[in-house]
Amino acid sequence: MTAARSGARPGNGVTAGGDVGRGWFPLDAERHRRDAPRYCPGCAAALSLTDGGDGLVCEYWAGPDRVFVCFCGACGWSGDIVLAARVLGHEAAE
Amino acid sequence: MLTAEQNEELTQVAAGTPMGELLRRYWYPVAFTRELEEFPVRPARLLGEDFAVFKTPRGRYGMLPEACPHRRASLAYGVVEADGLRCPYHGWLFGTDGTCLDQPAEREETNFRDRVRAVAGQVQELGGLIWAYIGPSPAPELPRFDVFVMDGVRDIGWTDLPCNFVQIMENAVDPHHTEWLHGRFFEFMARHQGFDAPPSFGKKHVKVGFDAFEWGIIKRRVVEGASEEDDDWKIGHPLVFPYNMRVGGANIEQMQIRVPVDRTTTRFMLYTVHAPVGVEYPEQPSVPDYQIPVFDENGRHRVDYVEGQDMMAWVTQGPITDRTVEHLGRSDVGVTMLRRMFKEQMARVSRGEDPLGVYRDFRDRIDLPCEKNKFDAGGSFAIQFIERASSRFSPQADALKKLHIKAHENRKAAAG
Repeated sequence: MTAARSGARPGNGVTAGGDVGRGWFPLDAERHRRDAPRYCPGCAAALSLTDGGDGLVCEYWAGPDRVFVCFCGACGWSGDIVLAARVLGHEAAE
Repeated sequence: MLTAEQNEELTQVAAGTPMGELLRRYWYPVAFTRELEEFPVRPARLLGEDFAVFKTPRGRYGMLPEACPHRRASLAYGVVEADGLRCPYHGWLFGTDGTCLDQPAEREETNFRDRVRAVAGQVQELGGLIWAYIGPSPAPELPRFDVFVMDGVRDIGWTDLPCNFVQIMENAVDPHHTEWLHGRFFEFMARHQGFDAPPSFGKKHVKVGFDAFEWGIIKRRVVEGASEEDDDWKIGHPLVFPYNMRVGGANIEQMQIRVPVDRTTTRFMLYTVHAPVGVEYPEQPSVPDYQIPVFDENGRHRVDYVEGQDMMAWVTQGPITDRTVEHLGRSDVGVTMLRRMFKEQMARVSRGEDPLGVYRDFRDRIDLPCEKNKFDAGGSFAIQFIERASSRFSPQADALKKLHIKAHENRKAAAG
């Protein structure tokens, strides 16, 4: 999923702030802006402050996966949204 | 990683901002008790606002905005009187609740005095510190956490750091830094500078965990050679939301306090109680406080002690960490949890609710969970702590070591 998304056009309708292009890792900052969840899965309110929302999206990396820790200020929903590189099932019981 | 807007929101302290409004729901230490014994009025800065804090001859504490409502002269140079604080410029007198009690040059028959009020903070003394609350009324209870009320020998190291308090608090939910900053890096510096690094800090982390609880986040770790049955995991120690961390071990109990003085200045205090069992504690007429060094004579960070290393890591991130270019990994989940907690509590305040850690029923003592056997290091941790942490700069460092050694000998003798 990550690979497919990373081919998307930069910006992709998402407002880019002044941080894009600065720092040592501008590409990651740009991807973060593009890929971070914009709406609450619970109530569909905007999460991003730039979109008028009141939530928080904080990204961390777990191996090849990108995890977005989310909180919605409108309904209180909280959870992690994962851009998973692979989906693995469990191993069959012996 | 955060967006610039989220980082901006998270690091604000000003009134009217979501974070500033959240932070105004808590009590903060703004002076040492002994300072107002030595001189009854002094300036204090908190959450980007300037105040004059004072103690009247009757023993009442007060805190007023530093600028006099009349012509803006500093009340931190005021005259402390029985009823309050009088401006040095034209003599206007304000009570501890901010009421204007006297305007000497104005005519008596006008109601001008009633139209002027200095917005006052509320002030209490606890454990050798003067605490202030500048949020909306009614003020919540000042939390009487265990370290501030327990018996023992007190000691407060402090300094002012040129950075935002949130990047310091993020360190409190980052167990992994211990084995590197206070382990590998400590050994590296020790080798080059010719001293011994304490061995217990370098133990490899096998597992870390975080649990939200009624006062913040409990941080847990299992280090190599230990198990989940050991104190570091079973009990852990808490980040006390929003600006403290409770630590301890080997009869040393400590609250690490990080007061947001303004957006890019943090008062860092190490409030320590040495409480070894098996010895009588000496009387302390006042709690000793001392400034701990941040930089050496060349302007480089002092990194030959534990907190000096922490301060280097906090301050070198810059006045406000640029979280738009960070790279968090799985080992940083405690950091993401704390950011979410800040945001959740901002939302509670915006709904008119009390945030986490604000309570309104008086409790004589609030015990916080905190491990006793730190890093599985046993009794040697106390001496390591005094020799290689901020207590080494205490005027009573030698006496504290003797206290722990004496207590250890007494316990040994009592055990036969």
